[in-house]
Amino acid sequence: MSSESSKKRKPKVIRSDGAPAEGKRNRSDPEQEGKYYSEEAEVDLRDPGRDYELYKYTCQELQRLMAEIQDLKSRGGKDAAVEIEDRRILSCVHFMTLKKLNRLAHIRLKKGRDQTHEAKQKVDAYHLQLQNLLYEVMHLQKEITKCLEFKSKHEEIDLVSVEEFYQEAPPDISKAEITMGDPHQQTLARLDWELEQRKRLAEQYRESLSNKEKILKEIEVKKEYLSSLQPRLNSIMQASLPVQEYLFMPFDQAHKQYETARHLPPPLYVLFVQATAYGQACAHMKSSQPPRQDKTLSVAIEGSVDEAKALFKPHEESQDDESDSDAEEEQTTKRRRPTLGVQLDDKRKEMLKRHPLSVMLDLKCKDDSVLHLTFYYLMNLNIMTVKARVTTATELITPISAGDLLSPDSVLSCLYPGDHGKKTPNPANQYQFDKVGILTLRDYVLDLGHPYLWVQKLGGLHFPKEQPQPTVIADHSLSSSHMETTMKLLKTRVQSRLALHKQFASLEHGIVPVTSDCHYLFPAKVVSRLVKWVTIAHEDYVELHFTKDIVEAGLAGDTNLYYMALVERGTAKLQAAVVLNPGYSSIPPIFQLCLNWKGEKTNSNDDNIRAMESEVNVCYKELCGPRPGHQLLTNQLQRLCVLLDVYLETEIHDDSVEGPKEFPQEKMCLRLFRGPSRMKPFKYNHPQGFFSHR
Amino acid sequence: MERAVPPTVPLGQMEVFQALQRLHMTIFSQCFSPCGKFLAAGNNYGQIAIFRYPGLCSPTPIGSAHDGPVYSMVSTDRHLFSAGDGEVKAWLWAEILKKGCKELWCRQPPYRTSLEVPEINALLLVPKENSLILAGGDCQLHTMDLETGTFTRALRGHTDYIHCLALRDRNPEVLSGGEDGTVRLWDLRMAKEVQTIEVYKHEECSRPHNGRWIGCLATDSDWMVCGGGPALTLWHLRSSTPTTIFPMWAPQKHVTFYQDLILSAGQGPCVNQWQLSGELKAQVPGSSPGLLSLSLNQQPAAPECKVLTAAGNSCRVDVFTNLGYRAFSLSF
Repeated sequence: MSSESSKKRKPKVIRSDGAPAEGKRNRSDPEQEGKYYSEEAEVDLRDPGRDYELYKYTCQELQRLMAEIQDLKSRGGKDAAVEIEDRRILSCVHFMTLKKLNRLAHIRLKKGRDQTHEAKQKVDAYHLQLQNLLYEVMHLQKEITKCLEFKSKHEEIDLVSVEEFYQEAPPDISKAEITMGDPHQQTLARLDWELEQRKRLAEQYRESLSNKEKILKEIEVKKEYLSSLQPRLNSIMQASLPVQEYLFMPFDQAHKQYETARHLPPPLYVLFVQATAYGQACAHMKSSQPPRQDKTLSVAIEGSVDEAKALFKPHEESQDDESDSDAEEEQTTKRRRPTLGVQLDDKRKEMLKRHPLSVMLDLKCKDDSVLHLTFYYLMNLNIMTVKARVTTATELITPISAGDLLSPDSVLSCLYPGDHGKKTPNPANQYQFDKVGILTLRDYVLDLGHPYLWVQKLGGLHFPKEQPQPTVIADHSLSSSHMETTMKLLKTRVQSRLALHKQFASLEHGIVPVTSDCHYLFPAKVVSRLVKWVTIAHEDYVELHFTKDIVEAGLAGDTNLYYMALVERGTAKLQAAVVLNPGYSSIPPIFQLCLNWKGEKTNSNDDNIRAMESEVNVCYKELCGPRPGHQLLTNQLQRLCVLLDVYLETEIHDDSVEGPKEFPQEKMCLRLFRGPSRMKPFKYNHPQGFFSHR
Repeated sequence: MERAVPPTVPLGQMEVFQALQRLHMTIFSQCFSPCGKFLAAGNNYGQIAIFRYPGLCSPTPIGSAHDGPVYSMVSTDRHLFSAGDGEVKAWLWAEILKKGCKELWCRQPPYRTSLEVPEINALLLVPKENSLILAGGDCQLHTMDLETGTFTRALRGHTDYIHCLALRDRNPEVLSGGEDGTVRLWDLRMAKEVQTIEVYKHEECSRPHNGRWIGCLATDSDWMVCGGGPALTLWHLRSSTPTTIFPMWAPQKHVTFYQDLILSAGQGPCVNQWQLSGELKAQVPGSSPGLLSLSLNQQPAAPECKVLTAAGNSCRVDVFTNLGYRAFSLSF
């Protein structure tokens, strides 16, 4: 029964749990509830104290009834059962009462709990409200402090001091009577005054700007006027040039150059003066033509004059007293902070330093090719170097074998015998080199230019061959005596190189170019053909087995150029190793031969090969052709082809071998052999066209 | 004592030309003076150098003794005869060392052709009749009387030019070897050919790939040795049969009897010494790649100068003080 009632009450409890306001409403209409839950309504009506009394009483009654029943049972008897029955009914009634009381207690407990809960919720709400308020207070306090800490911008403005303000400001701004006491008003007034002043200054600034603009415009106008003056002056100058030229008075150019030339170091100055003089003399000699157009030699100065000027002064000082060099040395020893290697490097650079000015010589040849020579002066070594470059009138197709012919490194090599320009001509330099650890100048030549002996002589520097002399003075007479021959040599060198350059192009294609004025040297029909023309290295040349004689005779120096030619006719192959001296064509190319035909034949095992070599090497003078003999090399090669023809055609036929001769004799010969060494008829007689012995 | 390598490296035009000339020099002939102290050598440029034996290294070249090469030289008591292209020149030994020495005389044998002057390859003195025999390009042996300087006779028979001559000791007979491959024996008194040996036709010594030419010849009593295109062979003259073939591949250019040996030289740098039996006794290397002439200084006047010299395709004359090794070289 109690479980039933709890089931029925359950939604009620939940409802009262969810909203405490409902609990109040529940209590406000007890009648309605009473209809279904009489006990709940009953609880309100009953007094809990009395219920407690009733409970006590009921419990006592039960105890008593139980004791009586026990008593009756222990005694036993017939009537006892009836009496027990009575008592049992009585006790049942008491139990019912107990049950009822129990239920009531439960309901009361429930109610009490509900009330407690409602109260607690109320307290919580109040607590929350309190916290919100506290937070609001805190926030307001912060805002207040922020406001208190606020800084106005005007505080940063640097205002005039108060005294000054009252002195200077007009009274409608200062309003002394108001502002004297009130700092706020005072500040406002001061700010007003500041604003006023600033406005005034801005106005002034604008005025100045416009003023400036005006002046600038004026300057512009004046500048324009000046610049318009320059071209007019130039045109006047230009117009005067023909007059100057007509009167042979090249004033400007010469004047300008002479002005620059003053800053040249002595050797370059000597060179400059002598070269100019020589150029002028050449021009005068050809005075039948207009003097300026046919100019074979032109001289110019390159480099920065300012640097040269800067250099000039300390240079003079150091010349004044000799002890300076010692002082310099001390300085350098003091400065020995960086590593020794770096310092040596610096010293080397210092020693190999060039003078900032250089002299350019342009030497024009007849076919419009130009040799550009740049002369430098190494100040600390007291030597001159030269760099050469060749430009041609027409673009050259560069044959592979002509690689070194026009290269700046070798084009001027050995202009005079033995002058390869790889060693310093100044004997004193060796001692200087020893100090800074330069072994030889050779390693620096590519960068610095070649110190050929003739260059020193052109610069008037004369170095003794054997003992070193510290003072070498530039000398005009020395330079002038060498100028003409050197210039001629330079010209012939360039021309012969260019001629070779052209010839190599056709040689590489197996064509030996023979000019018409050399045809008389060769028979009309030449069967042997050049099939290969390649350049070879010096080392390779030395290692060839048939060039030993030339190497031993010292004719195969490393300044020479080396080539390998291959001449063929049928099965016969004639290799020719060629030494081309840089002094070509005054010094002939040297041929060494090796014939591969019925075994290998060289000058050591065949007298006729030896004779062929001497035909081209020793009897070269008849092969030079017209002066200046640039056809020598090609004529020698053509001669070699003819010689091979003769050699093969006159070879004795071995009767024991069957078949026809490989090379039938076509050349007319008086005799096949002559003399103890059985020479073949190698000499060609021109108009008759037969071959005889030399 | 070596003067083979020039001390300075040639660089200029003149130096290079001189170096090339030296490189391509061939010494064709050499001859000792009667006193035995001088050696004359002639080269392909027509120069004759005189080397003084004890001092040795001071050649006195006669600038241009001949226009062409000096192919042959012989010496009498007073004269040196040198022959080259077409002419023979006589020099006095007494004056030859003086500066600006000129030839005593110059003669040209009568030639029939004018197109090319035939060269004189060999000279031979015939002391018994005081004459000089010249032979060479015109295939004839010209005899010149040294007393009068006239050409007395010409012996014809060779079909190609003559390389070499040799005189037999006892009989007045001369041997000649030529390009045509024959060795001919001439009787001087009768002025005619008495014997012909066609060397190339003998299979033992013929070498067709080298040609038929006879380049060198030497004789001793009944024996004759000859070589060239065919192999070097010792012949018995009376029976005209080859007795010994010397096994030498390279063609020989000079051969001579020396005591019981045969010395020969040719292509290759060596002087070969042969036993008569055909054994190679020694090969002594010289400094030239090929040799053309050997000369033995056997003048009784200078026994201390008893040397063998060899010259050929170089500017050096090798001197062998004994036969075993090359002592030094003389250089042009």
